[in-house]
Amino acid sequence: MTAFMGIPYNTLVVAAAVAAVGFAAGVVGCFGVLRRRALAGDAASHATLAGVVAAFLVTGRRDLPTLLAGAFVAAVASLGCLVLIRRSTRTRDDAATALVLSVSFGVGIALLSGLSARGIPGAGGLEQFLLGHTAALTAADAVTLAVVSLVVVLVVCAGLKEATLVSFDPAFAAASGWPVGLIDYALVALVAAMVVAGLPAAGAVLVTALVVIPPVAARQWTDRVPTMLVLAGAIGCAAALGGVVASALVPRLATGPTIVLVAAALFVVSACFAPERGWLARCVRPER
Amino acid sequence: MAFGSSKSLWRCGLSAGLAVFGLATPGCRAAGAADTLPRVVATTTVVADLVRQVAGDRVALDCLMGPGIDPHGYKATPRDTDRLARADLVVASGLHLEGKLGGLLEKLAARTRVVAVAESLPQESLLEVAPGLYDPHVWFDARLWSLCARPVAAALAALDPAGAAIYEERARDYAATLERLDDELRASIATIPAGRRVLVTAHDAFRYFGRAYSIEVVGVQGTSTDSEAGLADINRLVGLVVDRKLPAVFVETSVSDRNVQALQEGAQARGRTVALGGRLYSDSLGAAGSDAATLTGVLRANVATIVAGLSGDE
Repeated sequence: MTAFMGIPYNTLVVAAAVAAVGFAAGVVGCFGVLRRRALAGDAASHATLAGVVAAFLVTGRRDLPTLLAGAFVAAVASLGCLVLIRRSTRTRDDAATALVLSVSFGVGIALLSGLSARGIPGAGGLEQFLLGHTAALTAADAVTLAVVSLVVVLVVCAGLKEATLVSFDPAFAAASGWPVGLIDYALVALVAAMVVAGLPAAGAVLVTALVVIPPVAARQWTDRVPTMLVLAGAIGCAAALGGVVASALVPRLATGPTIVLVAAALFVVSACFAPERGWLARCVRPER
Repeated sequence: MAFGSSKSLWRCGLSAGLAVFGLATPGCRAAGAADTLPRVVATTTVVADLVRQVAGDRVALDCLMGPGIDPHGYKATPRDTDRLARADLVVASGLHLEGKLGGLLEKLAARTRVVAVAESLPQESLLEVAPGLYDPHVWFDARLWSLCARPVAAALAALDPAGAAIYEERARDYAATLERLDDELRASIATIPAGRRVLVTAHDAFRYFGRAYSIEVVGVQGTSTDSEAGLADINRLVGLVVDRKLPAVFVETSVSDRNVQALQEGAQARGRTVALGGRLYSDSLGAAGSDAATLTGVLRANVATIVAGLSGDE
């Protein structure tokens, strides 16, 4: 593959990876938002840093799949802790989430600073997982991220009916004999997977924006779940590409924060101009 | 000894104050007969080497950051603040190389002698990266770094007047060694074909090196390892490597090489295979006992790596 239509090779690789991740993160994030679990993804994303450093310490390798595998284990573990704390200590959801988020992030930062203070060879660059580092993605990394995104979207498509039911009416779903707990865990695991896949793009601190902002923006336009999924995916994809294009055109502009800003702009547009719920529509609508 | 004891009292107070921020702090040590040597703490391996060359065994030298540590991002642990507080002399590199230690060193300067060697260099010899901000990687110009020996000798003499003449002499000898090395390095770099004298590395640590030895230097990241390389920077460098037909790019021991891998792949896609020229020592010297444990060893090793990488066949 060489430059395509004048677009440099590295830009193409990064754009392909980030677009796939942006789409899948938007789709999966819808269930987190609908189920009112948006912050759980944030807790998981902050935990990934500890997983990245631990994976490096255990394996001594620094390739993306190894580090992301570590990040995924940490993300799932943090969500497990979240459930455990909620069930066993009568702590409310928001407090439990804040607890897991801050503690797991603290572990990550402690490991990272311990690593840099000891000068372990090859440890340089792990701190890039804090804020993301798209520019260094190679073709192999891009394929890994695209495959993860594809699998996640396919799983969502296969379980669309179950996921929708659990998201809107868990009590009814349970009464009808659906394994609500299991479906819930599956959804949470999918969110964790996309948080991890989004790490190279936006980093541990910002990646939650990829699973929260596009669904919230999409929700402004529609009440139908399938439409919302596609819209959220499209918004996530557009934000991701916007970040990559800006970073490719402007020297020394970081991709991750730009992606988040583009997503936020799309949310503002949605909140203002969506036909039913939009601010403009509500202004012109006659008083009830 | 009234002065000495009040000074060590001060240190106890300071380290106790600093200990409030940390958990583990070794208690104040009374100055015993065993450690009568002046205690000198150097921040980086490069500075520690300079102190070692000038002071020999007349001081107890402690290096804050070991080999392989990136000084730009280094944060002091409570144990480090204690080591610093107990020093008779602190020798730093300066010019914001120890970015996150800056505040601590400034505070320390109120009670301990702190010498920032690079900041003693004449301003016109420094490379300005932004208004009022200078590139700190001065040790890659051996002749320029030789000027740093004298301020270290002066600081050591103030601490240990009995050794003043020895420090003076050792500093002069070391400066002469660096000057001879400087000529040697320049001659080696000159053997690279003129069009290929371009050094592409992970971060911009080699500007003084480039200026001193007439080789163009391009870094993927900025002068500090903290700044992120954007996609635009990678694309620009792929263009440069392909246009100039460079046979190799280089990575550094203390900085991530992922950017350089992306760069290689981008050049490959445009039909140009770029070799990894090898690892260069940048902000830290090699492990103790190796050839690269001294600055002269590192400069020789780097130049050998660069010459071998860039002189190869097209």
